[in-house]
Amino acid sequence: MEYFFKTENLTVGYDGKPIVNNIDVSIKKGQILSLIGPNGSGKSTILKSITKQLKVIDGVVFLSGSPINDINSRDMARRAAVVLTERPKPELMTCGDVVAIGRYPYTGMLGILSASDKEKINEALCLVNALDLKDRCFSEVSDGQLQRIMLARAICQEPEIIILDEPVSFLDIRYAVEILDILRRMASERGVTVIMSLHELNYAKRVSDRVMCVKDGYMLHLDTPEAVFTKEIISRLYDLSDGVYAELFGGL
Amino acid sequence: MKKGTAKRDIRYVRYLIVTLVLLLLFAALIALNIGIGSIKISLGDVLKAGTIEYDILWKVRLPRMVAGIILGGALALSGFLLQTFFNNPIASPFVLGISSGAKLVVALVMVFVLSKGSTVNSATMVLSAFVGAMLSMGFVLLIARRVKRASVLIISGVMIGYICSAITDFIITFASDESIVNLHHWSQGSFSGTSWGDVRVMAIVVLIASVFTFTLSKPIGAYQLGEQYAQSVGVNIKTFRIILVLLSSILCASVTAFAGPISFVGVAVPHLIKAFTRTSKPHIVIPLCFLGGAVFCLGCDLIARTVYAPVEMSISSVSSLFGAPIVIWIMARRVARD
Repeated sequence: MEYFFKTENLTVGYDGKPIVNNIDVSIKKGQILSLIGPNGSGKSTILKSITKQLKVIDGVVFLSGSPINDINSRDMARRAAVVLTERPKPELMTCGDVVAIGRYPYTGMLGILSASDKEKINEALCLVNALDLKDRCFSEVSDGQLQRIMLARAICQEPEIIILDEPVSFLDIRYAVEILDILRRMASERGVTVIMSLHELNYAKRVSDRVMCVKDGYMLHLDTPEAVFTKEIISRLYDLSDGVYAELFGGL
Repeated sequence: MKKGTAKRDIRYVRYLIVTLVLLLLFAALIALNIGIGSIKISLGDVLKAGTIEYDILWKVRLPRMVAGIILGGALALSGFLLQTFFNNPIASPFVLGISSGAKLVVALVMVFVLSKGSTVNSATMVLSAFVGAMLSMGFVLLIARRVKRASVLIISGVMIGYICSAITDFIITFASDESIVNLHHWSQGSFSGTSWGDVRVMAIVVLIASVFTFTLSKPIGAYQLGEQYAQSVGVNIKTFRIILVLLSSILCASVTAFAGPISFVGVAVPHLIKAFTRTSKPHIVIPLCFLGGAVFCLGCDLIARTVYAPVEMSISSVSSLFGAPIVIWIMARRVARD
């Protein structure tokens, strides 16, 4: 079985203090993995570690067979793109300028965009239905538009894997579904692997191929959405009483 | 689609207009700086060797003017780099106390060397200014590491500046009589008394640092989106940050070594350039900042040396008068926006 993304005995945390221990996960090319779990369980820490923003404490992360520590920063940037929770606040940049940063690993020394770079920027903007925002000032767009621009930025980096930290929090249902549909399409049509943390369980169920449950420093479960979204597992993951589960997720 | 292209064309027209206006101002200020002074000189005298006018021009006014151009550009770039580094539009070598740190070490070295009866060459001045700039920068970075709030950073910087200036004043007051006059003049900030030898040293240092800054346009552009996004597209953040600190300190040090501390150019010029061009694209902003800084300093120096001629004002008094209101404007706009 060929896995595109794989971790072996991965322990992540800050300043040598582990937050999540012994994660073993492997997903295939073009699959979507969602991380769910209570606030502060370490989902973001895991995402930061697999994108090399944070040094791993123990274990190895593999990207198509090679440990990420052996991949240089340019190659890493050509393979993995991120969408973070923090809202960037660049001064006087248009949405097109922001998306263009995605071409960074492909441009030359001075970062001049070629005709094909510009084409890729337009293509990415089209994919997220935001071509009309290209010349708008980035600091003036709404939350939903902002998230589409950030996704376009990641797409135009032409990555093999996109890693997103809570991509649909703060978005109303229309924008949230739109973002997740784009990711689903990227995964099935272009074989892009997706790893993201999600707070909204109904979305996680709808979009994921695999779901990872994180709690109390460990990965509790890793399975298909059908297997994970059961009363027992979800109640235990979020410490819910039976009544609450039925009330909230009766329809799941 | 067509509308979008038209909009982008307008952008380039705007860059072009800003550049042309700056070049016009630049040319006008050069002509004024040559002509105006205790002796009026016409542009025709520039090439008439043997006259008094020729001597004044080539030995006094021209080196001073070239120094204003080079150091003005250096100050504006140093400010731009610090604003990028701290992601704060008010950061600049003067506000963060980096100029004052450079001034302190230069004063120390000057007093020490002069008391031994020898003179200080310009390379030593630049080097001691660089050491001072790095020391102040070190303090600012330590504070920035502990507190994330931008306002605290700025206040700490201003305080570091006051402490360094106070110590410099102590040193100058206790220095021997003959060196006081020079030192006092220099510590207030002035381009006067620049020699061609000084110009050569500052030109080499500043031009190399400026060209290097321009080659960093690409990572600076990515860094504007935040450290984490920059890292994710392949910027080596640690190296990049060290280079930013070194470059801004070198640029600030060359200014302080030759002209003393000059206030607010580093904040005002990058801000005005961004406001007029309506972009923060480093490819556009970096060269225009250099040109804008040169124009700003040429203008301030012209005012400083002509308003009460033959008495000269310090250039900082003039640059503060124009620069400080711009800082208030930036802060007011920020508060209004947030």
